[in-house]
Amino acid sequence: MTRLWRRLKYWSNSARRDETLREEMELHLAQKAAELQSEGMTAECAHAEARRRFGIVARKSEEAREIWMTRFFSELSQDLRYGFRTIAVNKAFSAMAVLSLALGIGANTAIYSLMESILMRSLPVADPESLVVLNWSSRPPQNSNKDWVHVVHGVQGVLWPGSKGNLVSGMFPYRAFQTMRDGNPVFSTVFGYFNGQSRTVVFRGQATSAATVYVTGEYFRGLSVAPAAGRLIDPGDDRPGAAPVAVLSFAASQNRFGGPANAVGQSILVDNVPFTVIGVAPPEFFGVDPQTAAGLYLPLHTNLLVDGPRTARMYSDENFYWIEMMGRLHPGISMAQAQTVLAPRFHRWVDSTATGAERANLPALLLNPGAAGLGSLRREYSKPLYVLLAMVGLILAITCANIANLLLARAAARRREMAVRLSLGAGRFRVVRQLLTESLMLSSLGGVVGILFAVWGIRWLTFLFSKGQQNFTLHADLNWKVLAATAALSLLCGLIFGLAPALQATRPDVMPALKNGRAGGPRRRVQHALAVAQIAGSFLILVAAGLFVQTLNNLHSVQLGYARENILLFSLNAHQAGHRPPEIATFYTDLRKRLESVPGVLSATFSRSSIVTAGHAGPAFRGTMKAGTVTIGGARSLATGSRYLTTMQIPILAGREIDDRDQAGAPPVAIISERLAQTYFPNENPLGRRIALPEEKRELEIVGVSANLRNGGLKQESPLTVFVAVTQFSPERVTYALRTAGDPLRFVPTVQQIVREADSRIPVTNVLTQAAEIDRTINRELTFAKLCSGFAVLALLIACVGLYGTMSYTVARQFSEIGIRMALGAHRAAVMWMVLRHVLLLAGIGLAIGVPAALSASRLLKSLLFGTQPNNPTVLSLATLILLGAAILAGYLPARRASQIDPLVALRQD
Amino acid sequence: MGRKPQKNDSLPGSLDMLILRTLSRRDLHGYGILQFLQQSSNNELLIEEGSLYPALQRLELNGWIDGAWGLTPNNRRARIYKITAAGRKQLVVETRQYTKLTLAIARVMGTE
Repeated sequence: MTRLWRRLKYWSNSARRDETLREEMELHLAQKAAELQSEGMTAECAHAEARRRFGIVARKSEEAREIWMTRFFSELSQDLRYGFRTIAVNKAFSAMAVLSLALGIGANTAIYSLMESILMRSLPVADPESLVVLNWSSRPPQNSNKDWVHVVHGVQGVLWPGSKGNLVSGMFPYRAFQTMRDGNPVFSTVFGYFNGQSRTVVFRGQATSAATVYVTGEYFRGLSVAPAAGRLIDPGDDRPGAAPVAVLSFAASQNRFGGPANAVGQSILVDNVPFTVIGVAPPEFFGVDPQTAAGLYLPLHTNLLVDGPRTARMYSDENFYWIEMMGRLHPGISMAQAQTVLAPRFHRWVDSTATGAERANLPALLLNPGAAGLGSLRREYSKPLYVLLAMVGLILAITCANIANLLLARAAARRREMAVRLSLGAGRFRVVRQLLTESLMLSSLGGVVGILFAVWGIRWLTFLFSKGQQNFTLHADLNWKVLAATAALSLLCGLIFGLAPALQATRPDVMPALKNGRAGGPRRRVQHALAVAQIAGSFLILVAAGLFVQTLNNLHSVQLGYARENILLFSLNAHQAGHRPPEIATFYTDLRKRLESVPGVLSATFSRSSIVTAGHAGPAFRGTMKAGTVTIGGARSLATGSRYLTTMQIPILAGREIDDRDQAGAPPVAIISERLAQTYFPNENPLGRRIALPEEKRELEIVGVSANLRNGGLKQESPLTVFVAVTQFSPERVTYALRTAGDPLRFVPTVQQIVREADSRIPVTNVLTQAAEIDRTINRELTFAKLCSGFAVLALLIACVGLYGTMSYTVARQFSEIGIRMALGAHRAAVMWMVLRHVLLLAGIGLAIGVPAALSASRLLKSLLFGTQPNNPTVLSLATLILLGAAILAGYLPARRASQIDPLVALRQD
Repeated sequence: MGRKPQKNDSLPGSLDMLILRTLSRRDLHGYGILQFLQQSSNNELLIEEGSLYPALQRLELNGWIDGAWGLTPNNRRARIYKITAAGRKQLVVETRQYTKLTLAIARVMGTE
């Protein structure tokens, strides 16, 4: 204890201690010298002899010091101080190293964190690992075969491609759910749910729209979710005739009632049906689909009240697939075991619902892990994310190569310093350790800045990915494991490439280094290899960026055939507010006229769905259209109100557009697109001819021909389009489009006020500009182009830093050589060319590796491109040019420095 | 260059004992201790002089000696060391061990 006390006392005034010791030693030397002098030595000899007998003063004082401190800490503090000094002196070097490391670490951590939140994160419920999603898979329908029949007569939901070309879906008939739920030996609970889409909800007299999920009574128990307030839906609530109750999401309870406790017991209207709020879900709970956060949970059977009695058919129809299911495994039972038990059970049931030829191709039950919820988001984004991850991995590799290069170059430049220190008596280990401390300090600094970049990057990425999606639930957090891994990698890189030159520079044989400080060695080859690798890696990223930017350009330059700018879109659902045909058509028409009278609105119109989503959203007339007896294949219809073509600036080639004449009672009319007219009415005037829509008894008279337009997605060819009058087809939900003078979003308050005056129960939803809606369909491409361009700049920057470092070092090494050349009459231009030639050679080798690598790697991107090929020559040559330009830029400064070497100075050195 | 590591003395740790013994006679500063050691050994003991100072630090850390600023006989400011009570005890222990050891060596060598 006393020793420790003395140590602490020592540390508290270690500076004075050092001073004391120094004074003691000096006194010693002085007295010794005096003594020797009195014995007859000259003063000079006496001093030298005194020193000789004493030993190395610095080492002795260090030994004395380390009696008190453990050696490690005393030297560490020295190293750190020295390291900080070196970092501060070599600002440019340090900044480059730290910045490139930070960018590498930050980008990797951000991308990986986001990826983890999309692809791997578990649902925020108890024991998510025991949850299982029930799917089925079946061979896809074959359209060519007219006799092909399937037991699945209808599906309300999505199908996606599974293995071996099969189609997979998560939808089941209600009876299948009952079969799975009752007396299930492997699941402790089976629960079902289906997406109720967005509903008009009136909270305290205010109408809004809320994402709704219909859930069975077992849903919350099966997920082991505890209420934040009140109680959650139980089996007693989920039967026909039960009192209508609702559970709110935590966010909805806060936004609408100021907190979960206030929400319980409140009455709300869901599509005009009164419900009582019985509880609030916990804050982190968003349902089972990570893509959308539900605001409202309703018992399954309440859809009979909300969607009308006609939905009762859904419960009894054994061939209509609409409910999704999950189960919670009994403890100790694996998913594979459950699959073996349940597959035959499902098969027996589905067999009982099939008739005749349907038995040949029955869907088979397929269990999937449910820990992360439903997989729709994963299916859409997993490939892009893997591509991004590969790119940032490449960037990290370039970064590491860069750090290695910089450290190697610097170690070489400091060989002389090391040799001097060794010859002055520094231990080899001590010098190596000091070099290591420096590189580790740089790496750690890079790591710290990298964390900042990662945090910022995650926010930015989440913003990019969520753009255009309401209720985006992914809140990616910094993934500390990834951060640790990337930081460890960069530390390791700093360690290895700090250690190798340090060991070499401190070989016991220091004389050659002292004699000529610029001795090269095999490390130059390593440096060159690293520079070449960086160039090749950057080229890959450049090419990828080029391809994605071109994809985006192609998408932007697609001839839409309709206006993109200055159009405001919003949706209304008067049906949910109680309007019924035929009054509803009048309501919408009157509203259109009011909107068109607003100053600044050039024209107003409405349609069943917006022009971008038409064809893949909402009930459209699909199937066979007929012109007389001829079947019109693949045509899409668009139910619109008056002045649609004018508002959308679609040219009218013949006849007229739909206008206010075309009301419910009037003769039904249609406008057809040019392609349809040319295909089915060649060599004749289509005006006045008639076509029939599927499921329609009436025939429509063709009153006009429009130009072609690319509705229903940018990536598809213009379909054959038929415009019909929406007012003649009893609309429910419609989307309005206003063509405005100036920024469309300026008109949002006016629109909201006009709608409120018309009927305050109808919320205005999906407010956005046409341009934004078009961009939303290419959100992924947009995100990719932005990210990849960013990555390309990053990679290029890092590679340039690496190249610059290599060349600066080479020039420094050849200092005297260049001096001699110039003394012998070499021109400055020749010297400059000598250096630049070197740079170009490195770049050339990098490209020779990069081009074939890019050609083979970019093939993997094919499915993400539009209108361009992976081996697009323009992109490849542009990337080559940019890379060469950057290389020359990076080589220019060292080259100029070389050309400005003064031969006299160079020759005098060494 | 060409520097070789040197051992201070033939018996490791004996420098500590010699310092304690010297200081048990009278208080001295560093150079004084060295002078005394060399004179009393007839310059037989070759000590790397610088090693004295780490040894002094070690003894001080163990609480066996105490250093304080004072004046040398020829009036120069120096740190004068004095032995502590604990130091005297330690000297007894080390002397005993040393005697044991030298006796043992002497026996092996057959001089006794």
